[in-house]
Amino acid sequence: MNTIRNYLDNMFLGLPQTEDVARAKKELLAMMEDKYNELKNNGKTENEAIGIVISEFGNLDELGDTLGIKQVIENKTDIPLVTYEEAKDYIDESRATAPKTALGVLLCIISPVTLLFLIGLKELNVVHAKEDLLIAAGLVVLICLVATGVLHFIRYTSKLEKYEYLKFNVFELDYKAEEMVRNIQKQDDPTYKAAVSISVVCYILSALPVIVTPLVSEIDGLSVIAVTITLIIVALSTYNLINKSSYYEPCNVLLQQGDYSAKNKSNKTFQTVSKVYWCVIVAVYLGYSFITNNWRMSWIIWPVAGVLFGAIKAISEGR
Amino acid sequence: MISSDVIRGYNDTMILYLLLDEPSYGYEISKRIRELTHEKYVMKETTLYSAFKRMESNGYIESFSGSETNGKPRTYYKITQEGKKYYKERCEEWEITREVIEKFIVEENNHEYN
Repeated sequence: MNTIRNYLDNMFLGLPQTEDVARAKKELLAMMEDKYNELKNNGKTENEAIGIVISEFGNLDELGDTLGIKQVIENKTDIPLVTYEEAKDYIDESRATAPKTALGVLLCIISPVTLLFLIGLKELNVVHAKEDLLIAAGLVVLICLVATGVLHFIRYTSKLEKYEYLKFNVFELDYKAEEMVRNIQKQDDPTYKAAVSISVVCYILSALPVIVTPLVSEIDGLSVIAVTITLIIVALSTYNLINKSSYYEPCNVLLQQGDYSAKNKSNKTFQTVSKVYWCVIVAVYLGYSFITNNWRMSWIIWPVAGVLFGAIKAISEGR
Repeated sequence: MISSDVIRGYNDTMILYLLLDEPSYGYEISKRIRELTHEKYVMKETTLYSAFKRMESNGYIESFSGSETNGKPRTYYKITQEGKKYYKERCEEWEITREVIEKFIVEENNHEYN
């Protein structure tokens, strides 16, 4: 009998939840149930009974007119259906790739650390090499780290590329898959929230070395080294955040909640703006830093850009 | 199993006929159609339900909830005066239809396919 109920659920998937539709479903189920019971009583096996009931069910198209949902039934086929297996694969793969993309981001964030550290040591007079040489060495490390990070990015985000449409297109989720996703989300919610809290606290604390060092000591080199500590804390918090959000984000994507609601998906302008925005920020950061060599200040663009992005997003949603 | 357009046009007639004597519910009606036609015609659930809905909005039948002696709640349908009138019209129409079509049916075939 469960098979029949599931079959009917599937047929009604995506139809508007009007009173008429609910009643039709209930009535159809009652008829199917009666037929199933009688077939079973007449000695049919479970499978035979289910087969007969389903083959004699008919076609929902017939109900379109009577239920006033003709339009919906005719358009229904346009919306892709995401099956249980697809949903499961998407969640599994997202989780598998998350630590790797997170590592890519981490490498990019800590990329200037060696450079800053060497400059700091030079100013503290700990090392006596020529400054140009130190900067060159630091830049080599920076470029290597960025390159590795970006490679990681490309390699692992491309693995998820086939699921990109889930983020940008409206789809229908199989009801069994929906149940599975909801359970996963419920189960992992505490882990995710804890991870976000820890990261946020770390982000706030990360400012401390930069603020406190000048108060404690006048030496220039120390404040540069303080920046490296800040960057490392930021990098680790971001790693944690990206990694743990893989326990949450795919569920939101599949359930079409939050950023991935059908409403937001229709807001194509914002999607484009956000892609362009981050490319511009990266270009400005690299361009400014290489031209002025002012690496010790230029990182400030990241927190500023982040907050600004939040503002842009709020404006776009408020429209 | 028949599924021609002609018989589909007479779904309402069959359902109304079965409701003439007493109210009935979905499965019972579909079962009686199957039995009366010796399984030559099986009405699909969706066909039956959309016929119910259509005739209800036309005022030919009325629905009410009731239950059998064993207690399972069901939606019952009963025929209205309008429905009886409509049924009679459909029967007369069928008589004419049959007269007309029969003119074009070869005798032997008529026996064979009866």
